[in-house]
Amino acid sequence: MKLLEFEAKDIFKKHGIPVPEGKVVKSPDELYLHMDDFADEVVVKSQVDVGGRGKAGGIIVTKKADVVATATHLFKTPIKGLTAKTLLVEEKLPIEHEYYVSITIDRATRQPMILFAETGGVDIEETARTNPGALRRASFSPLLTEVPGYQMRHLLGSAPRELGPVINALYHAFCASDALLAEINPLVTTTRGVYAADAKLIVDDNALKRQGITVNRDLTPREREAEENGFSYVELDGTIGVIGNGAGLTMSTLDLITHYNGRPANFLDVGGGAGRERVMKAVRLVGGMPGVRVIIVNLLGGITRCDEVARGIIEAGIDQHVITRLAGTNEEEGKAILAKYGYQMLDTMEEVVRAAVEEAEA
Amino acid sequence: MIYGDKSTGVIVQGATGNQGAFHISLMNEYARSVGGRGVVAGVTPGKGGQTVHGVPVYDSVREAAEEHDCTTSVLFVPGFAAGDSIMEAASAGLDLVVAITEGIPVHDTMKALAFAQMEGCCVIGPNCPGTLSPGELKLGIMPPQLAMPGNVGVISRSGTLTYEVVNELTRAGIGQSTIVGIGGDPIIGQTFVDVLERFEQDPQTKAVVLIGEVGGNLEEEGAASTTLPIVGYVAGVSAPPEKRMGHAGAIIEGGEGDARSKISRLTSMGVPVAGKPSEIPALVRELL
Repeated sequence: MKLLEFEAKDIFKKHGIPVPEGKVVKSPDELYLHMDDFADEVVVKSQVDVGGRGKAGGIIVTKKADVVATATHLFKTPIKGLTAKTLLVEEKLPIEHEYYVSITIDRATRQPMILFAETGGVDIEETARTNPGALRRASFSPLLTEVPGYQMRHLLGSAPRELGPVINALYHAFCASDALLAEINPLVTTTRGVYAADAKLIVDDNALKRQGITVNRDLTPREREAEENGFSYVELDGTIGVIGNGAGLTMSTLDLITHYNGRPANFLDVGGGAGRERVMKAVRLVGGMPGVRVIIVNLLGGITRCDEVARGIIEAGIDQHVITRLAGTNEEEGKAILAKYGYQMLDTMEEVVRAAVEEAEA
Repeated sequence: MIYGDKSTGVIVQGATGNQGAFHISLMNEYARSVGGRGVVAGVTPGKGGQTVHGVPVYDSVREAAEEHDCTTSVLFVPGFAAGDSIMEAASAGLDLVVAITEGIPVHDTMKALAFAQMEGCCVIGPNCPGTLSPGELKLGIMPPQLAMPGNVGVISRSGTLTYEVVNELTRAGIGQSTIVGIGGDPIIGQTFVDVLERFEQDPQTKAVVLIGEVGGNLEEEGAASTTLPIVGYVAGVSAPPEKRMGHAGAIIEGGEGDARSKISRLTSMGVPVAGKPSEIPALVRELL
C-alpha cells in the first residue's frame, strides 16, 4: 500500500531523517490555527497518491498571506483525477542542490538495492532514460543492518558525505516499515543541512497487519470486499467475468479470452479449497460488476471440490449466464448438480472461453 | 528426480495445522503407492509428543532431525512465522526446504533466503505448490494423478496452471521427469536458472517446459542459462500494468516484465513459445 507524503515523512522523521517543518490540514480553516508557525513563504502540497504531482499542479509555492486562498483552491482541484482530503503546508527550504535516492528489493540479486543520483527532482525518470549512468546502484546482503561503507562511497561519488547518514537512516526506515519502496526525491542540501523534501513509501501488503495498518486504501470498494473474502481480484473493463482457482490458471483464462478477441471484465482467483459459500460470494461479486454479460467459472479441483463449487454457483442466483469448466475432485457430482439446473458445462478451457466470447460479443 | 527420490526422508513444519496435517496424509499416501519413505516426522512448536496421521510431532526441527533420518522439509507454517521456520530448518542442517506458504512478508523471505544460503540449504518457494517426481517423490501439494513418469521437466511460477499443462502433457502421452513449482513471489529461492541447472545434470530429463508469468525477468535469464531444449509459455498477456495478478510477484512494474516483451525475448533466443496451454504438447514433441 502506498502511503501519502506526510505519513511517509512521519516515519522517516522517526528514523532520524530531517524533514521540513510542516502542518497537515483537512480544511482551509485549520490553517488559521498555524499562522504563527509559518514563514513568509510556504509550499502547499496536495496529499494525493499520484506520480508527477508537482507538474500536474498539486504543489504550489505561495506567500503566507495567500496560504488560505491557495489551500482552498487545492482542496477543490483534482490532480490527475484525485481530489485531496489533506494538504501538507511546509516551510520553503533554501535549496542548494537536489539529489535522488531510493531503496527497493531487487528480484535478481534478492537483495535490497539503493539507487542514487546527483541530480534529483521532477526529471529523474527522464534522467534514467537519457543518461542511465547518472543513476548509481548498490546492493548488499539483507542480513547487514547498515549500508556497507564501500557501497556508500560508491553511491555518493563526489556528492557531500553528509548525505550518508540520511541514506543509512532511509535503509533503517525501509527495513522497519516492511517497505517495497522507500524514496526521497528530491533529497536536498540547504544552508542549514540535508532534508527529505519529498517522501514516498510503499508498504508490503503481506506485512500491513504487523505494521498496524488495518485498511488497504489502494483498493476499490469491490476489491476490498474481495480481499475480505480472501480472493485475489483485479478489476478490468470488459464484458466477460472470470472466476478461477489459482492465479496462473485464472490469468491464463484471461489471456485466452483476449486471444479470441473477447474482453475480460476482471481477474478473480478464489484460492485453494473454496467451499460453497466462498464460490457463491465470488459469483455474486463478479455478477454485480457493471458491464458483465457472461461469466466463466474455470476450476481445476485439487483441494477444491467441484460439487461445492456447483452448489455455490446455484446459490448465487445471478442474472448473467454462467458457463463452467469443472475438472478434478468430485467432478461427476459437480456436473450432475449443475446439469439438474440446466447450466452450460464444457470440458476444456478452450471451449468455455470460445462460448463466452461468442455470447458476450453477440 | 532432481530434488530427491524414494529414499528421501521428509519432515513437515506446521504439521498440526489443517493444511499441514491434510498434506502429510496425501504425501504419505503417495509415498506408499510408490514405495518411498515419505514424511517421517512433523514439527510444530508447543505440540511435541502428538501424532498426525501416525507421524510423530516434535517441538523443533533439531529434535525431529535427531530422531529421524531426514534431509528435507515441507513448510505449511503461516506467513508471519514462515521466514523464521526456513531459518530453523537451515540451521538444523537440512538440505532442502520447500516453502508452500503464501503471504510471507518479502523482507522475511529475503532475509531467510540469505541465511539459508549461508547454511548451504536450498529453498524452493515460497508461495509454491512444491515439486513432484512422478513415481518417486512428492514434496508439497501437487495432485499426482495428473502426472506420469517420463523425460520432460516442467518448471513453473504458478500452481494450477502447472496442473493444466501437466494434464495436457499426460493426455498427449508425454511423461514428466520432475515438475517444479518455484513460486509466485517476487523473491524466491530456486529460480528458473537453478532448476534448469539441475535438469541439465539429470540424465532422465531431455526437454523442459518453462511456464512463466508477468513480472521480473527470471524466465529470460533461465532460458539463456541452459543448453536443454525448452518450450515456453507466459501467462498474463492481458494483465494491466501496476496491478498484482494474484501472485505477489505477478506485477508489471516500471514498464518491466510484461508478457509480450517476455515472449518476444524468449522467441528471439530461439525458444518456441506456446500461445495457449493446449499448444504445448505438440511443441514439446518437436523437440524430443
